[in-house]
Amino acid sequence: MNRVGRFQLFAVQPIILTLALIVIITIAGFLTPGFLTFRHLKMVLYCNTMLGILALAQTLVILSGGIDLSIGSTYWITVMLGALFMVDGNFIVPSIVCIVVGATIGIINGVGVSRLKIPHVVMTLAMMIILTGTLYVTTGGGGRGRAAPELISLSTGRIFGFPIISLVWISLTVLFHIILKMTAFGWKVRALGSNLSACYCSGISIWKVQVLVYMISGILAALAGLLYLGWARTPYPTFQSGAGVGADIMLQSIAAVIIGGTMFSGGRGGVERTFLGVLILAVLFSILGMAGLGMEWQIMLNGVIILVIVGVHSRIGQQ
Amino acid sequence: MVKGIRKMPDSRLKKILLDWHIYLVLAVFWIVSCAASPFFRTIDTFSTILVSAVPIALVGLGQTFVVLSRGFDLSIGAVAGLATAVASVTMHFGIGPSIGLIIIISLVIGAINGLGVSKLNIDSFVMTLGMMFFLTGVNFLIRPSPGGFIPGTFKRILLYHVAGFPLVPFLILLLAAIVGILVLQKRKFGREIYAVGGAPQSAQMSGVNVDRTRIKVFAVSALSAAMAGLFISARIGSGNAEAGAPYLFDSFTAVFMGGTLVTGGVGGYRGTVASALIIASIGQILQFLGITIWYHFIVKGLLLAGVAGIQLFIVGRRRA
Repeated sequence: MNRVGRFQLFAVQPIILTLALIVIITIAGFLTPGFLTFRHLKMVLYCNTMLGILALAQTLVILSGGIDLSIGSTYWITVMLGALFMVDGNFIVPSIVCIVVGATIGIINGVGVSRLKIPHVVMTLAMMIILTGTLYVTTGGGGRGRAAPELISLSTGRIFGFPIISLVWISLTVLFHIILKMTAFGWKVRALGSNLSACYCSGISIWKVQVLVYMISGILAALAGLLYLGWARTPYPTFQSGAGVGADIMLQSIAAVIIGGTMFSGGRGGVERTFLGVLILAVLFSILGMAGLGMEWQIMLNGVIILVIVGVHSRIGQQ
Repeated sequence: MVKGIRKMPDSRLKKILLDWHIYLVLAVFWIVSCAASPFFRTIDTFSTILVSAVPIALVGLGQTFVVLSRGFDLSIGAVAGLATAVASVTMHFGIGPSIGLIIIISLVIGAINGLGVSKLNIDSFVMTLGMMFFLTGVNFLIRPSPGGFIPGTFKRILLYHVAGFPLVPFLILLLAAIVGILVLQKRKFGREIYAVGGAPQSAQMSGVNVDRTRIKVFAVSALSAAMAGLFISARIGSGNAEAGAPYLFDSFTAVFMGGTLVTGGVGGYRGTVASALIIASIGQILQFLGITIWYHFIVKGLLLAGVAGIQLFIVGRRRA
């Protein structure tokens, strides 16, 4: 296959994924009664909103040629801190504090990667470990506090029967799609991922873009954390002890990005692909759940999908 | 990726610092805590540190090989978990066959990882991420809840203590160190790893079989993870699907703290062993200083970022 052919295949890949998604949903609709209802599909979307927003943030970082391993810990630390601050029922100030915390974490990551030249994997891994410690130290490992009533009504609210937070996810996806395709910033992010030295030579201030990307990632993770807090009402420790807080959802977000078809080496891909990736994962998990197969099958399937799709990608995308 | 060493360390001191700085950190840690707490200066403390350093050093062995060849192995934790799960299910048929089975399984897993990375040209991070998810699922199928049977003899052999000193764990650590350092420095395979990690294309042109080296590297990595899993199963006395998960990030911490560069081709196993000892010590030290155990995450993270930063400062490396 020549290079042009490969590029064309890469371009139609989202269409193939969409078709696959439709086929899966149709088959599942025939096999399991109650699958192909608005109510159920809405539920599938609703349950995966937080993962979707995290995967969106991860897409940006991966497009810029980096990776953010601290995204899950940022998410969890927002859940915990938000609940602690919201004990008195305040909504606005704690939310702003949480977003600022997320942004600060992102900025520290970005400065470490771009100015101190620490490799992104090392920097964000260190950040993940530090945040894990911070979380245990501040909360003792257990959940304390509760969400503000406004946040709960936001997270569980619906507009015309459609969950608000899923709308937030979709509009964020659209927003970042526009930013990536139509603004200079988006162009710089992708240029950074595809050729760093060319970026340097063409006068892009690399460190500003990198800091901004990690900051956006932190902010989005904090936002997802807030939405989760409103959904769960009170934080409960679902993280594994020892492995690093939020490691599970962080790895899931990377998986969604890869399944969507964004190149792991950066530069090529987009948030719309990640949206599809999350949907495919969500629908398949839902099918497994309805078939009565438990969590272990879901994790296994996750791995198989990654390996299969990446095996196909490796033939399509790389030169 | 633009990579280049702007200037090599010129003075003797700089070179010694670069080679041994992690041991300096370890020595400072131990001396300070020995001075600070009389309860730290006991053989019990060091025996605990040694025993908990063994699995980290073992997973670090494989991870060092992989990172040196410019890759990542995320499936290490899952392979270790698989080893404990399989051991807890099959050990009642006999210890030998069970260990043999685990070795074969891990070699197959490593070979699959290596084939995906080398022949299909899949990014190693992605390939092993998929493998990790798959194996975690398998682990839960084999061992849905912690438990199972690990024979007492197996536990006693692996944790054999002489007068309070953990002889066998110490020997395992020593063996891993000797094997890791000798293979990387003296054997053809080790030099090929450095060649592949430093400049794959040049290695290919100078006659190194890059694909075969990669496959071997991942097989070694899975094998050492399985060995770590066996040790963990002896320590906890049962099988646990999630037992290996914490060791994934510990292996990365040990490797990066030990001075092996993410970009491959620079570093070695010497630093990884010291980092494994440091990671194992932090919890103990904090405990004896009367600080909540949870702070050890923060210390570990700061140390990782700090040591990586200092190392880059010494080498004077530009853009990664």
